Amino acid sequence: MIGSMTEVVDIVRHRELLRNLVLRDIKIRYKRSILGFVWVMLNPALTMLVLSVVFAELFHASLREFTPYVLSGLVLWLFFAQSTSVALKSFVGNGPLITTVALPKAVFPLSAVLSALVNLVLSSVPLFGLLAAFGVPLTREVVLLPVAILEVFVFACGVALTLSTVTVFFQDMTYIYDVLLVAWMYLTPIFYPVSIIPAKFQWLTHLNPMIPYLRAFRACIYLRSDTLGEDLWYGLVWAIVAFAVGWVLYQRFKDRIVYHL
Amino acid sequence: MLNVSDVWVRYRMAREKPRTLQEYVIYRLRGGTIAYDELLALRGVSLSVERGETLGVIGANGAGKSTLLKVIAGVIRPTRGTVDVTGRVAPLIGLGTGFDPELTGLENAYLNAAILGRTRKEIDAQLSSIIEFAELGEFIHSPLRTYSSGMVVRLAFAIATEVEPAVLLIDEVLAVGDEHFTAKCEKRIMGFKDDGVAMVFVSHAMSAVSRLCDRVLWLDHGAPRMCGDPQPVIDAYVRASHTPGDVGQPA
Repeated sequence: MIGSMTEVVDIVRHRELLRNLVLRDIKIRYKRSILGFVWVMLNPALTMLVLSVVFAELFHASLREFTPYVLSGLVLWLFFAQSTSVALKSFVGNGPLITTVALPKAVFPLSAVLSALVNLVLSSVPLFGLLAAFGVPLTREVVLLPVAILEVFVFACGVALTLSTVTVFFQDMTYIYDVLLVAWMYLTPIFYPVSIIPAKFQWLTHLNPMIPYLRAFRACIYLRSDTLGEDLWYGLVWAIVAFAVGWVLYQRFKDRIVYHL
Repeated sequence: MLNVSDVWVRYRMAREKPRTLQEYVIYRLRGGTIAYDELLALRGVSLSVERGETLGVIGANGAGKSTLLKVIAGVIRPTRGTVDVTGRVAPLIGLGTGFDPELTGLENAYLNAAILGRTRKEIDAQLSSIIEFAELGEFIHSPLRTYSSGMVVRLAFAIATEVEPAVLLIDEVLAVGDEHFTAKCEKRIMGFKDDGVAMVFVSHAMSAVSRLCDRVLWLDHGAPRMCGDPQPVIDAYVRASHTPGDVGQPA
């Protein structure tokens, strides 16, 4: 408990480092491309275009209905996938630094999630642009959007802490998580409506936290939903549980990490 | 300034260590238990370094010198014992770790100073003298990948030593680029000494140790074997290294 508190104080003291790490990630990602930041927005937009044309055809849905659905799903999923898979390597990748300078190691996975969050905000621009272009009105619940995003953010932080710690001890975690992430993506209604899941498997949707997160995210933007309140509560519980697991695991093993890098 | 008292560092390393989750699961499913080796990296090391004093640490490879520096730097938490430091510790170890080749010298300076725990205000105030000391001129705006290795170390040294620390940890002699710059670095370090900075200096170069240090600690398999005036300790260590079966050869 005391160890936890000093770690938190230490992280706050190193907020300048956190800021610099996030800035570095963003700068490096776009430094060498002429289009720069435009890429962040263009990338999901182009993927979405391809997917929505294909899937709209497949599901006989209209483009106006389907494109925002896919793009919103993609934007949120990419945030989660990117933040956790980058965070996974963050202790191992910063090994030389961690073994020479005393700093709160948690800043590395946290900075990975934070820079993915910056990307999420940037890639929301084409999403809102698209909604405007199609003349889709925003829901009144848009005021709850920061809450919905905060929940996914905390959830991602928990997963990031867990993965980065485990990867120090088990190096094949990278490959395991890659596979897991693909499976997880297909089990999440990013491209398809939740309704196509057969009724007898619907209960399974409660086991995938990305489903309430995604539903809440869409509900806070444009897609009316009767379950927003429920989804936000679910999401809160998942966020707290994931963060608690990640934090406890990290606290338990943080002093041993240095011997394994 | 610096007080290390009865520090022990013990850690467990699995003997046949499953490096992957897959191996671990298979191993456990077969009913295997994992045997651990207890490693004692440091065994009851005590030392104190006063203001303006330089302590040399010598010993064979694997004697625990680097572990000791890491304990003082706060990277490794001792299993037992305490480390008390009044003020800031600056590790002059692995200069340039944490630099990113894609960022410019300036961006790296910000990042590196932040790694060392400085605030943005402090960094802003220090920047011009860092650039001046590193003698990088206009290159400060070029990506680090275009730098020579000497330039990288110069920048790293300038950042690490811009703020006078209370305790300076040095691993091996500074081989920073050309002679002119090495002399400049030594001058700065000597200036620190005069200002009362406590230093811990780890080296295999006995000539440098006897020239720079006021006292020398000889570590042998993690335990302090001898401590005192430089020359007697160095002599004893060199003698022992040439005796087969005593300690490992100094590299």
